[in-house]
Amino acid sequence: MGFFVFLPLVLPLTAWPVARLAEQRLHPRTATLMLTTVAGVLALCSTLCLALVMVVGTAQLPGNPLPDGWSDPEVRDAVPFEEVAGRAAIPALLAVLAACALTLWRHVRVRRLAHRALRGVAAPRVAVLPDPDPYAYALPGARPRIVVSRALLERLAPGERRALFAHERAHLAARHHRFLLVVQLAARANPFLRPLRTAVGYAAERWADEDAARAIGDRRAMARAIGKAALVSRGAPAATLAGLAAAPGPVPRRVAALLGPPPPTPSGWPPAFTAVGLATWAAAAGTTVSALSSANAAITLFFLLHAATPW
Amino acid sequence: MPSSPTPRRRRGRGELEAQVLAALCAAPGPVGAAWVRDRIGGGLAYTTVITTLTRLLAKGAVGREKAGRSFAWSPAADGSWLAALRMRRVLDGESDREAVLASFVTALSPDDERLLRGLLHEAEDPRATQDTGDPEDTGDT
Repeated sequence: MGFFVFLPLVLPLTAWPVARLAEQRLHPRTATLMLTTVAGVLALCSTLCLALVMVVGTAQLPGNPLPDGWSDPEVRDAVPFEEVAGRAAIPALLAVLAACALTLWRHVRVRRLAHRALRGVAAPRVAVLPDPDPYAYALPGARPRIVVSRALLERLAPGERRALFAHERAHLAARHHRFLLVVQLAARANPFLRPLRTAVGYAAERWADEDAARAIGDRRAMARAIGKAALVSRGAPAATLAGLAAAPGPVPRRVAALLGPPPPTPSGWPPAFTAVGLATWAAAAGTTVSALSSANAAITLFFLLHAATPW
Repeated sequence: MPSSPTPRRRRGRGELEAQVLAALCAAPGPVGAAWVRDRIGGGLAYTTVITTLTRLLAKGAVGREKAGRSFAWSPAADGSWLAALRMRRVLDGESDREAVLASFVTALSPDDERLLRGLLHEAEDPRATQDTGDPEDTGDT
């Protein structure tokens, strides 16, 4: 017994190289599904671990309603520095819960406000708004809609407009907002999971790009639509942290990917002894191992507590 | 994922335009600027309402007709103007919206822009010259 009980809190660090590999090597659909699952599992394990550490470390504090058996010596031996860790876990857990609740609340709120804003627009699926700023969004909901400003449409050629709409429809059809919400919550639960949020955000865009390119049968038109939209959107909704990094931002990478060959098919794994195959298997194995050891630590603690429960 | 450092001046103005337009949409028919001011409340100056209405008129979001010595104002039949102003408020006001509203593109750094222009130049397809021509030529929305 020892520090392994804290593993779920730090194992999300291993998701970073995995996210990079998946982002570069896998079909964006596979990458989105895999990274979202990994983020969700690791976040749950990490939060569970936090809760268990808190329970063990604080069950004996006076006034605590938890059973005293939960902090018997053998249980406490499982957690190094149980008192310090237990006390530190309380604010951490509260912070996680508050941050997740806030994220959910904002999600619902933005959705409601956006749908309410569009109430006066008669067109059922696409809302073209007379806004001088170029923008386009997919708005999920019971009545999913595409919101696009006239300013953006006016700057795109007909083929590129088709590409834009196909892209937004792909977002809605595959319900990408759910993946984005999961990774957003995961990043709130454990800050080490933030790179996965960025990676899934990018992978979901690539997924929509590829689906749209297939739907319109023209990868170049898709690439041009993205490039033009990004160039005319300059100065409008602005810079992210990615803009500070030396590496190219998401837009040039998306365009470059579309101008290159199509990604490997999402169905089936590539053979293991190619560069792509090795990367894929390494990514899959890495995530499985980290998720499993994460779960293992959480479950061990759980059973220890279960055994020490008086009823 | 874009956050929105829109200039404060613009946001205040957009907010006011949305309020004025919403008031007009709620009016029983064409109304005067004084009616709009009373409807919004909050000690708004009459001239501010007039300025805002004039700006909306220039955009085509409202219409006006002569009624005695002043104008009676009414919203454009198309509900998209109010929707645009309200949507702008959502986009400007919510920094944490990327899970709901995935933006088609995110902002570019100067390096990104150079890189992107290079890529687009490569992508220039000889068969589709009219597609990549002057963007001003394609405004049939």
